[in-house]
Amino acid sequence: MTCTQVREQLGGYVLGALDPAEREAVAEHLASCPACAAEHARIAGLPALLEHAEGLEIPAAPRAVEERVLDQIAHERGVERHARRRRRALLPSLGRGRALLAAAVAGAALGAAVTAIALDDDPPGRPPSYELALRGSGGASAQAKLTPGHGGTEVHLWVKGLPPGGEAVYEVRCERPGWSASAGTFRTDARGRAYVVLTTAARLGEYERIRVVRRPDENLVLSGELQ
Amino acid sequence: MPAPHARPQAEDAQLVERLYRDETGDAMRALYRLYGGELYGFTLNAVGDRGSAEEIVQEVFLRAWRHSASYDPGRAAVRTWLYQIARNAIIDTRRRAAVRPGLSQHDTPAEAEGGATLEQAMLGWQVAAALERLTPEHRQMIRMAQFRGLTMREIADHTGLPLGTVKSRTWYALRSLRLVLEEMGVTPS
Repeated sequence: MTCTQVREQLGGYVLGALDPAEREAVAEHLASCPACAAEHARIAGLPALLEHAEGLEIPAAPRAVEERVLDQIAHERGVERHARRRRRALLPSLGRGRALLAAAVAGAALGAAVTAIALDDDPPGRPPSYELALRGSGGASAQAKLTPGHGGTEVHLWVKGLPPGGEAVYEVRCERPGWSASAGTFRTDARGRAYVVLTTAARLGEYERIRVVRRPDENLVLSGELQ
Repeated sequence: MPAPHARPQAEDAQLVERLYRDETGDAMRALYRLYGGELYGFTLNAVGDRGSAEEIVQEVFLRAWRHSASYDPGRAAVRTWLYQIARNAIIDTRRRAAVRPGLSQHDTPAEAEGGATLEQAMLGWQVAAALERLTPEHRQMIRMAQFRGLTMREIADHTGLPLGTVKSRTWYALRSLRLVLEEMGVTPS
């Protein structure tokens, strides 16, 4: 057997896929040819590595996770900027800067203390986003970011402290007395948390509170008021 | 013979370098699309349910973003770095679950299947990713011989290819795999 012939057999040889006679001929050649033995050594460890990959198929990356990562980064950047500006604003003159809408009121439904702040990092000319804290019983709470969009509001909602997992479905509603518009539904994860991006046809100004109710029994679980 | 699709590590390192400053999100999207799938596969295999796996993968990319300044391309490839973050996030999740009795009974498939460690699983997923980078023809040869246990002759019968082609293709497939693994910083012992 020539070296060229042996090289072409090496793949089948390391994978144990040659006939016995071929295998023997290759083994004999390798024992006496350092160059081919070196080629063999380069790939001899591969079958052991491949064993670890047996049955593994790379799945598609979930698109929703990509969006959640980007949303969370945007959120953290916003919070960081907001904190920076607040620190600057609080330095020598307390009245400096755009007056922020900040109010703590007693929420009617659950005795909720609610704060709504206009995020001041929005570029000029664009309507501001609002952040709203929602409170509920049993330690449940949520943070909502409301951004006016085409024909309604985009609601980013970070929820924690709800009963973990399960089949419970929660609905987010934008409301004022006698009027209600749904922003959609969500479920919680195994730790009672959720992060969702919902859209409602309700425009900022048309509603004065956000409530989260459990379906289908309509139990109120979270509530927060815009001022 | 077509070259395997090895991706220069320097390009990935540049992506990570851009990650924190890039307000467009393009660097994060690119990084996620390169590695999100395999990290999700690795995590799903380790924790056993899609919801937790998605949460962990989200956490992995957020940690990568927050700590991108501490990434040192001289110490590890981006893939290795991301897998380490994922490994730590999985361990954190298991610890949290262990202190909550309701969830501690939930054995993960990786543990249930004879104690395969996270390290072995990380290696397996990286090898699976390397296989994905080969040409379909090369991947087919390796799969048939290694995973289905077919001989060169049986593969020739099965595919209708000449025996000589099957043998040389398998040889080139393994050489390509070795190259891709070297690119990824994974080397056979």
